[in-house]
Amino acid sequence: MKGEEDFPKATEADVALLLEGTFPYVSGGVSSWVNQIIRAFPEIRFALVFLGSRREDYGKPKYALPDNVVHLETHFLHDSLGSRAADIVASKGDPLAFARVVALHEIFHQNGRTDLAASDTLAAELMLGNDVLAESDFLHSEEAWGFITASYRRFCADPSFVDYFWTVRIMHQPLWTLARVAKELIPVRALHSVSTGYAGFLGSLLARSRGLPLILSEHGIYTKERKIDLYQSEWISDNRNIFQRDASELSHFRTMWIHFFEWLGRMCYASADPIIALYETNRLRQISDGALPERTSNIPNGVAIARLTPLREKRSEAIPKVLCLIGRVVPIKDIKTFIRAMRILVNRDPEAEGWIAGPQDEDPDYARECNDLVDSLGLTDKVKFLGFQKIDDLMPRIGLVVLSSISEALPLVILEGYAAGVPTLATDVGSCRQLVYGLDAEDQALGASGRVVGIANPQALAEAAIDLLQPDNWHAAQAAGIARVEKYYADHMMFDRYREIYETALQRSSQSATPDSPGQPMRCPIHGHAPTGKGDAWPA
Amino acid sequence: MSQSKLALYALLLELSALLQLVMTHSTSDLVFASFMATHAIASAAVASLALLLLPSHLTRSAQVDWLFFFSMVLCVPLLGFCGVMIGLLVAPLLPRPNREAALHTLGLPELDPHENHDPARFRQAGLRHFLRNTRAPIDLRLKALITLQHAPVQFASPVLHDMLADASEDLRLLAYGMLESREKQLNADIREARLARQAAPDVATRRAAERQLATLYWELIYQGLVHGDLRRHAAEESLRFLEQALQDEQGADAGPHLLRGRLLQELGRNEEAEGAYRQSVEHGLPAPRVLPYLAELAFARRDFAEVMRLLGELRAYPDQPRLQPVLRLWGLT
Repeated sequence: MKGEEDFPKATEADVALLLEGTFPYVSGGVSSWVNQIIRAFPEIRFALVFLGSRREDYGKPKYALPDNVVHLETHFLHDSLGSRAADIVASKGDPLAFARVVALHEIFHQNGRTDLAASDTLAAELMLGNDVLAESDFLHSEEAWGFITASYRRFCADPSFVDYFWTVRIMHQPLWTLARVAKELIPVRALHSVSTGYAGFLGSLLARSRGLPLILSEHGIYTKERKIDLYQSEWISDNRNIFQRDASELSHFRTMWIHFFEWLGRMCYASADPIIALYETNRLRQISDGALPERTSNIPNGVAIARLTPLREKRSEAIPKVLCLIGRVVPIKDIKTFIRAMRILVNRDPEAEGWIAGPQDEDPDYARECNDLVDSLGLTDKVKFLGFQKIDDLMPRIGLVVLSSISEALPLVILEGYAAGVPTLATDVGSCRQLVYGLDAEDQALGASGRVVGIANPQALAEAAIDLLQPDNWHAAQAAGIARVEKYYADHMMFDRYREIYETALQRSSQSATPDSPGQPMRCPIHGHAPTGKGDAWPA
Repeated sequence: MSQSKLALYALLLELSALLQLVMTHSTSDLVFASFMATHAIASAAVASLALLLLPSHLTRSAQVDWLFFFSMVLCVPLLGFCGVMIGLLVAPLLPRPNREAALHTLGLPELDPHENHDPARFRQAGLRHFLRNTRAPIDLRLKALITLQHAPVQFASPVLHDMLADASEDLRLLAYGMLESREKQLNADIREARLARQAAPDVATRRAAERQLATLYWELIYQGLVHGDLRRHAAEESLRFLEQALQDEQGADAGPHLLRGRLLQELGRNEEAEGAYRQSVEHGLPAPRVLPYLAELAFARRDFAEVMRLLGELRAYPDQPRLQPVLRLWGLT
């Protein structure tokens, strides 16, 4: 694998893929999908923009870059938090810019019942105009201090000003990094974001400043997944005492973060067209989160059937009593429920084994908790952590693909299992029910290709596994899975849809004028004048 | 005047009007005026007849109806007369429209105390009931769920488990997060205690760690965080560590014996459980702490006389409000 200094660089590309916490550094379903898409269109030159938290959170890239990735740049949003004392310059701050900041936050505090489009435009202008709201002003100006202290007095339900101050800083500072990325990215003809969040916000900035089409493909729903993290996070403090606390309210800082991610999502939805979901429930969720219905559509995942079909021949006659959870060892996969289910299963059938095939380095604390749980339940010889495994080696040796996740979209691993002749046992999340029991009447007529149970219910998971491992049930599920994946989830169907989307976007891009593309910088949105001085910067 | 007479007059008047026109072969104004006068009287007679004969469900206003028939007969000589007369003969024979069919029977609306958006209302309806009400607004149900973070775990857990199957993903995920954080803390403590046990420099420290492990596994059960086979596993682990902790403790206090009794009862080993309860009393535990469990064991073996006797002893301790309903049920108050 290449180091960062060896990443390809180009002066222009066709499509910029905006990737947050995924390909090429993190393995998983979304990364596999990105890899699939890039390789499916060798004629398109891709520029990849990877956004991560801190450099130290990622190792080497997990994927080899396809030849048509002509440019890759990485940005770590939380590396640049804080400032060195030497860099701090006291300033008054621009009262006009802060008046806009106040106006923007007034809209937010009205619970979004006012002009949302105006708030999005206002935010984009504040971030994109050169030095309109400079990062240094946000960090060190008197205006910023005045705004933060006034907001604290007016809105904050938590007594700690110190926590409030740093929450505001940590929350907002990455936006300036993203604004810099938006200004400096090489010329491209179209944008494709694989999530909302920071990547979607970057896409929105780029689309607005350069007049480029923004394609949004959401696998999970980013805002929802951040909410899961926030509900479970222990690093967000709640300093209210018993008299200050309203039992029916989350801590103020938790709520602030939730609103912040909701806003990032809405900004992205406002700029993106088309907005693609993997299945109907997620499409409806996108609409309820602010996407325009006419821009939304569904394109399900697909897998390379021809490549996986030979794996069926490698299977032994006997059904291996091996339940395999293929996925990263992270809380959203609820690995603990799988481990607990294995305790129950092994009690009933001592030959059963549980394998967890996925990297453990993304959330080491959670991985340790899972290992401890295996010890505590006395399963050390029955549950194995295999690390990242190649599907081709794994599939012929397992009896069931298991997903115990609390949230999923349309898991590729289920489709890969079907294509390789392995039924699925999954929780009732995302499109798992559709993948196991079928979507419409014709699909349902193919039969059940596995079992679906409620989340966080190890007893139900274990009992469903026992039922599904009965030879008659297993063979019926295997046949249904093969029929389903071949009929509805072949990768060429997905590629055909994306080919059309890329062609339309590139066509729109070449037809539309690009008033704010590099070389034609924006006018200052607040003061209205053209840039002067060096480069395209406005004078302070 | 009878209706038939009126009809006859109308017919004669209309005929005479027509005959005047046909027989005279004159185009003079006088003849035409005479015709119009006779025809108008005939029209008025027909209109009056129509008001008398028209079925009530076809009438709206007497004046308007009279004017309508009068105009029809007056403006369309002969044909108008014939048309109205035929209409009057046929109208009573037509089926009456079933006006009741337009009315539908509606069921009584269900009383839903949660549709009021006042956030204070769910407290009145009961939290559990409120959370189960899928018609209540999601935001309010989320708020209701959040209040459980301050409720005692053993009461909150069953509700949170119920919510794992809710149709709303946001509610499911919040309930999961709350359960997970509680369980996570206990599992972290179990890990610490296991490590402490492994690293114990002497038997006393080791026994203390085992006692702590027994308590922590029991907490998983008490807080309702484990179910089915896993509950049994937690009980077995707790008992295993407790018996290790007790094996060379001389003169241990009553607490571990009471816990041992609870664990044995949980595992269905009722005779041994009874022995453990009695041991805990021997070690100084006040009788009222153990009597309810002994009564439960007696109930399980269908020895109702013994249940009555044990509960009867509890009457001497009226400071146990949670047991009062049981005593009332058995007629002991």
